[in-house]
Amino acid sequence: MFEKIFQWLDERLGLEAIYGAVLDRKVPKVNWWFTLGSASLFLFVMQGITGIFLTMYYVPSPDKAYDSIQYIMNGVAFGWLIRGIHHWGASLMVLIVFLHMLRTFFYGAYKYPREITWLTGSLLLLLTLGMGFTGYLLPWNQRAYWATTVGTEIAGTVPGIGDFILRALRGGSDLSAVTLARFFSAHIWLLPLGIVLLISVHMYLIIRLGISNVPGEDE
Amino acid sequence: MNEELKKKYHAKYTAAKQKGVKFWPDIIYKDLLVSFALFILLIGLAAFVGVAAEPKADPNDTAYIPRPEWYFLFLFEALKFVPGAIEWVGTALIPGIAVLALIALPFLDKNPSRYWKNRKIAISVMSVIVLGIVGLTIRAVITTPEQEETTLAGSIAEQVVQGQDLYSIYCAECHQPEGEGGEVVGVEGLEGTFIKPISSQDEMWTRTDQTLFNIIDMGQQDLGMPPYGLGYGGELQRAEIESIVTFMRYTWDERAEIPEDAIVGIPALVEGEVPSYEVHISAVAKRYCVSCHREGKENNEYLMGSYDEILNTGINAGKNVIAGDPDASYLMQTLHRQTVIGSDSNEIGAMPPSKDLKTEYIDMFARWIEAGMPETAAEAAALSTVAAPAEETAEP
Amino acid sequence: MAKKSSSPNLSRRDFTKIVMSFLGSIMGAMVGVPIIGYVISPALKATEIDDWVSLGALDSYPIGSPKLFSFTRTKVNGWEQTTNSYGVFVVRKSESALNVYSNVCTHLSCRVNWNEEVAAYTCPCHDAQFGLNGEVLYGPPPRPMDEYEYTIEDGNILIHLTEA
Repeated sequence: MFEKIFQWLDERLGLEAIYGAVLDRKVPKVNWWFTLGSASLFLFVMQGITGIFLTMYYVPSPDKAYDSIQYIMNGVAFGWLIRGIHHWGASLMVLIVFLHMLRTFFYGAYKYPREITWLTGSLLLLLTLGMGFTGYLLPWNQRAYWATTVGTEIAGTVPGIGDFILRALRGGSDLSAVTLARFFSAHIWLLPLGIVLLISVHMYLIIRLGISNVPGEDE
Repeated sequence: MNEELKKKYHAKYTAAKQKGVKFWPDIIYKDLLVSFALFILLIGLAAFVGVAAEPKADPNDTAYIPRPEWYFLFLFEALKFVPGAIEWVGTALIPGIAVLALIALPFLDKNPSRYWKNRKIAISVMSVIVLGIVGLTIRAVITTPEQEETTLAGSIAEQVVQGQDLYSIYCAECHQPEGEGGEVVGVEGLEGTFIKPISSQDEMWTRTDQTLFNIIDMGQQDLGMPPYGLGYGGELQRAEIESIVTFMRYTWDERAEIPEDAIVGIPALVEGEVPSYEVHISAVAKRYCVSCHREGKENNEYLMGSYDEILNTGINAGKNVIAGDPDASYLMQTLHRQTVIGSDSNEIGAMPPSKDLKTEYIDMFARWIEAGMPETAAEAAALSTVAAPAEETAEP
Repeated sequence: MAKKSSSPNLSRRDFTKIVMSFLGSIMGAMVGVPIIGYVISPALKATEIDDWVSLGALDSYPIGSPKLFSFTRTKVNGWEQTTNSYGVFVVRKSESALNVYSNVCTHLSCRVNWNEEVAAYTCPCHDAQFGLNGEVLYGPPPRPMDEYEYTIEDGNILIHLTEA
């Protein structure tokens, strides 16, 4: 029975071919440092899942953001767990992505033919930091408010166009409901979309080029 | 990289693959174990460390020490070393170059070697950068002064309880414990002013939470009400004012259903039970006395905020409460509205100034002093002739 | 890692599969079960109302024709206070006898109005009509208009508002 269903699907989807190309391929023997990439992906997926469920109760408005998070923490069953995972997952993801970058650097894995893999990876590191920055304004607490004030002010010091960048980030000259709304939008739509696209390219390249090997002394 | 080197690399890589393993199951197995370990770590952090509660955003709270998340701390710290005139070098130029260099690394580092011993420059530069980031982060953590403690109210029930306490301290002095108002007695500058009730239906139905918030925050100077918001010279944070408003709304507005766990009563005494500071006296004092008997008020320096204060402060210290002798204690005499001449030969007024404390609470103070002012519930229980009733069985 | 056997690849694969499905289901359960609780938890809390609401002086209601009285009640829903509006029609039959009907249509909860011309409560949604005493005259409603228990104290009407 299962055999038949599989045959039917394989004929149309090419499952065997995908299995051969993606899973059943030879790769160099590598050490535990090479698990950091998949760990980053795993954390991204966890952030995605918990994040989606947080938006079920979270309200991106200065009046209600703080209260809605209080409700998530105290009023909703397991809200503390979902938010706890999302909160700590963010820190852990920054750490793991950074370590992944260092591993790639110290093994020289960014060299030919993997230049574009590095390029997408470094953009992913920046987007991860962007997720962190936009994410922690959302609770509208003291840390969020002041870190965003200082953070956007930093962008505002760019010579010439600084004021414009500041207003573009804040959606006006003040930190306001507009700022919160656009940070929320960036945090749940724009940046994750960018991350998903870049991860796709990153993974395609890893499958196409194979994972790098631990360089030997003569390399 | 020239063609020859490329060929050489491919040969090496093919050889490595030959000696290698299958992606499935070998690599995936390792990945899975690491991801699972991270998962357990995450659940552990969420369950046992949790998310630190932060006060709500408040641009007026100058006591707050702003710090970014730990992964931006190094940048934050680095900016302390950039002189203001060339601020943009530290905020835009250097980070900009660093980001570009990171992205373009494969095109900047032309060295074909991959083994670390043959890449001394690249490895050294990166090591210095990483050590710098770690060093700056550590420095930022060390130099950050400790955040001042703020009490945070969470759920609506918690806000109501916190609001009740704050109301007793800051508002009850003039507006009375139940918001009933009346003539102000014993408040500097407002002596004899008549205050309308604030807990009436007229008040509660026609004033929104925002209006109540603004009145507390900014005050109503023409009516004699001073501002309480930090931003206007008062001492309350936004969250605290919000708690007071929540308390008022849920306690006095009959349209609002008060959450069950927000109702805090002062436990009643049974025959033969000795009250303790911990359970009884502190609750009564907080609601009816502390509003005047705290720092910065005219009260003969008699403070009632803690056990020690009740026993040992004031210009009449020692006579206010006399263990075992309620009748001689000034505290009891003022509660019974008797005239008391203090040690500075000035008369001490009746307490609370505007109206009698409920008889049951006066009796509570009397029994407490009689028994020698026990502090904890355990001490009081030891002095009691009956066991204290469990809360659930306090039915008549 | 895996033990050597006659077909090492196969046993190794099976071993990985078992570990994978085991760890995978642990993770799935540890996140999935709390998420189900998280999503449905507001549905498990029912807020009750059991209150006597004053409709004002009995004398302010005319005898014979229905008069609408509106009031609000506030409840806590999640992070906000939800103000619900209620409307009741007071139909005074005589000096002391009266009926109090909810203006919520028993069909799908639209709000009915008293229409003097047809002498009926008409629902704006599906054209239902209720008679002066709440009985269904026309349309899809399954039952007559809901009626409130009332008492009269010191000349004021009080109705018993209950919600579970």
